Amino acid sequence: MDRGWYFRLVIVIGAAVLGFLALWPSLDRWLPCPDIVKETFDNQINPGLDIKGGLRLMYEVEVNEYIRDRRDRLAEQVQRQCGVLIGVIPEEEVDDIDKATLEEIRERCKVERVDKDGGAVRAIRITFSTQEDAEKLTKTWVRDYFRDLRVASGVGDLVVDLHMREEQLSNMRETAVRQSERTITNRIDNLGVLEPTVIARPNEGDIIIEVPGAQESSFERIKSIISRTAQLQFQIVDDESDSRGAFTDPPEGIYLNADSQTYAEAFGEDASDRLRSYIATLSVPDDHELVIGRQDPDPERGGEGWRTYYLHRVAEVTGEDLDDAAVGFDPQSGSPEVDFTMNTRGASRMADLTGRSIGKRMAIVLDDRVESAPVIQGQIGARGRITLGAYLDRSELLQEAKDLVVVLQAGALPAPLRPANEQLIGPTLGQDSVRKGAAAALWGIVLVLVFMAVYYQTAGLVADVMVLLNLLLLLGTMSGIGATLTLPGVAAIALTVGMAVDANVLITERIREELRLGKSPRSAVEQGFSRAYSSVLDSQLTTAIAGIVLWQFGTGPIKGFATMLLIGIATSLFTGTFCSKVLFDWIVRGLRVQRLRVG
Amino acid sequence: MEFIKPGTYIDFMKYRGPVAGVLAVLATLSLVSLFYPGPNYGIDFAGGTEVQLAFTGDTTSAEIRSALEGAGYSRPDVIRVEGQPNEYIIRVSEVSSLPEEQAERIRAAATAALGEEVLQELRISPGGDKITIRASAEIHEQQLREALEAAGARVRSVNPLAGSRIPRYEAHLVGVADELIAQLRARFGERAPESALRVEWVGPKAGEQLRDAAIQSLLYAIAFIMLYVAFRFDLRFAPGGVIAMLHDALITLGIYVLLQKEVNLTTVAALLTIMGYSINDTIVVFDRIRENMVRVRDKSLRELINISTSQTLSRTIITSGTTILSVSAFFFLGTGAIQDIAFALGIGILIGTMSSIFVAAPITELMDRRLFSRARS
Repeated sequence: MDRGWYFRLVIVIGAAVLGFLALWPSLDRWLPCPDIVKETFDNQINPGLDIKGGLRLMYEVEVNEYIRDRRDRLAEQVQRQCGVLIGVIPEEEVDDIDKATLEEIRERCKVERVDKDGGAVRAIRITFSTQEDAEKLTKTWVRDYFRDLRVASGVGDLVVDLHMREEQLSNMRETAVRQSERTITNRIDNLGVLEPTVIARPNEGDIIIEVPGAQESSFERIKSIISRTAQLQFQIVDDESDSRGAFTDPPEGIYLNADSQTYAEAFGEDASDRLRSYIATLSVPDDHELVIGRQDPDPERGGEGWRTYYLHRVAEVTGEDLDDAAVGFDPQSGSPEVDFTMNTRGASRMADLTGRSIGKRMAIVLDDRVESAPVIQGQIGARGRITLGAYLDRSELLQEAKDLVVVLQAGALPAPLRPANEQLIGPTLGQDSVRKGAAAALWGIVLVLVFMAVYYQTAGLVADVMVLLNLLLLLGTMSGIGATLTLPGVAAIALTVGMAVDANVLITERIREELRLGKSPRSAVEQGFSRAYSSVLDSQLTTAIAGIVLWQFGTGPIKGFATMLLIGIATSLFTGTFCSKVLFDWIVRGLRVQRLRVG
Repeated sequence: MEFIKPGTYIDFMKYRGPVAGVLAVLATLSLVSLFYPGPNYGIDFAGGTEVQLAFTGDTTSAEIRSALEGAGYSRPDVIRVEGQPNEYIIRVSEVSSLPEEQAERIRAAATAALGEEVLQELRISPGGDKITIRASAEIHEQQLREALEAAGARVRSVNPLAGSRIPRYEAHLVGVADELIAQLRARFGERAPESALRVEWVGPKAGEQLRDAAIQSLLYAIAFIMLYVAFRFDLRFAPGGVIAMLHDALITLGIYVLLQKEVNLTTVAALLTIMGYSINDTIVVFDRIRENMVRVRDKSLRELINISTSQTLSRTIITSGTTILSVSAFFFLGTGAIQDIAFALGIGILIGTMSSIFVAAPITELMDRRLFSRARS
């Protein structure tokens, strides 16, 4: 045997060993797995909901938050459109009003957000300063520009209330739930092959998620990833205005810092909650807001530190314009961070915002928390990064960065989710069905192995070795990526075994044809392989194309199916062509058989 | 052992007319069956009713499942709640949705009884087991109950909803859950509970998002496969492979529908597998035709197809044979959903093997005549 053959043999054995090692953690129950293997391959095959059960979560979508959010955006538009109504600006400039003009419009007709009946009715109130302006507003104007609003009171009066239309409200409820479902599905898909069940119920305003598995730690992670709103905003910190007046009567444990800028800070346990409830009692101008963020721990006061930031309320750039996010590392400290790119619209807004704010600080706000507030040194375009601060240890930071990437890529939830119910559930299938399914899989594989050995004899035995190797690699890969195995998945694997012999059948049939022409076993094997390659490759690649497309565009179960299909194609191509050639070569060249028995 | 003797030549193309005819009839029937009687969608696609029950005596999910199947529920989900002894979640695809006219009658009756001023909103849950009412003033529960019953609703209870500033009421109707509990009590006796802990209508697992994604990815898959085949083989081969693939999925689904087997997410996975198998099988035959086109110059495409199909026949039989072998183990040994998927795969493989010979190859010949006849003359 030549050196090339030994080299190929090493690859085959290496793959088999790797496959086994990756699979070993999943076999721990029957064959205790050493810790070093467990640490290297930290995933295992995850039994599906039908086989093992899992965790059932129910979340209520805070639809009212979504409606309030929509109302706030509408209020902003109403304010601008009022500028056209009272003739301050022409229609074309409605999207491009500078700050001074906006102030002028606000002087003459002020638009406010009003909540009535304890928040049950979200309204927009317009207050005109002159009767002359007030008379310009008509029902038709409202209908023409704002289809979601209706006039609730006082057309022609100085004060006009606009309410959200009833039919729009139920549409919005539906949209909020549907969008949440979509985002949750995407997030879980980003986590890997989990095959959860996601059921949205727009009428009830809730979402039911069932996640397979039994590991407490992975549930915690999934829960935090699902329920994170992931609302990313870039807001300018207002260090120039005097906000000293806003901080009235700080309670015990909250300190006011009054050097160059004023802010409140708190330390130790519950510092963030205490600070948050304190600022909820403060009143700031409508176009500003107070948001909390981490700060350096104070050795004297102890524990983690939190402080407030005084921000311009308007977020000119948000996570909506995010194109992609990835885990990165700070070039100096090497600590994990999240790098992101904006789409074209986001990049031009960001350039615009940073270009006119050089020297000011930009707060990166994630879910009402300032992650960092760097000073803008120069104009920033499409790329940016979110530093996570140095308050966690490195592995925690890395996990945090990874999770943040998952949620940022899948997009923000349209409204916060409130956990409503949580239950551990048993398998949907009985033990009996699972046992029968496993027995069927075993029988299916054995039948194929026996048939191949009988029909193709020596070549059949080669095929059998390849089928078993294929099975090992397939299960090893599944274990390595932590794929979920459902009972239909078991059937799919058995079917893959049936189909994987196809490559062996194609090659053996070709070898048969060559032998019939009177060729020696050695040249029959060479010819047989080289002629069968194109069939094997073309047929598998065509199926792989379908698999790639399904993986790219599919969600949930379709994506899971495509993953399995692609893994199956890769392993059966490897074993069916490469590995079986190594074995055949040994038989015809190493053993120098005079007659190759191919049935 | 050799099933097909070397040198066998079968004039497949002679039979393409009748076989294609039979397949065309099957395909048409399948297409019709999608509209009449229409697929029997399972809970994955149609949603259903979810009931949570606390049994008073020991039981197992297998026992409950077989009891429900005995009572005529198809493929119920029975899930044990961990940590709560004998507590189970049961999902069935049955819903007690009210016909539109009855819903209208209920609405009219409630409006008449309470007055338009008071009745702000009346919503009937899609599961038909709950009516939610928002009123502008407090109303008499008995009055509401009588109004609903007069309209033909079988009311179990009317309760005010707590924790809301606006008066809201919830009327629970007698529905699937009550029937289900009655049937369980008939089989389990005292061990079954008298009432449910929770009854809810659940939406489909496979919602619009999944449907859109599935359709989109299918269209892209077809386009890319056609491109690949046109590039690796030539343009004549592309439509045959894809049509055969769609044909196989359609007929398998059709047989499924005609037998009124439940269509769920597993069925979709089976259909995708069948399409993968079909295109795989077709490409092997195409590959031989392509090879023979270069090697054998003086034969017509029709003869080339016959020669190539005959040459690959042995492989075709062995591969589909082994695949059916492993699938049949699931059909004979498996239960429930597994048996269904094995059934679908078995049919799909049979049809897929036939269609490579009698659908894909003849279409390729047809394309050849259409595209190249003018060039040749």
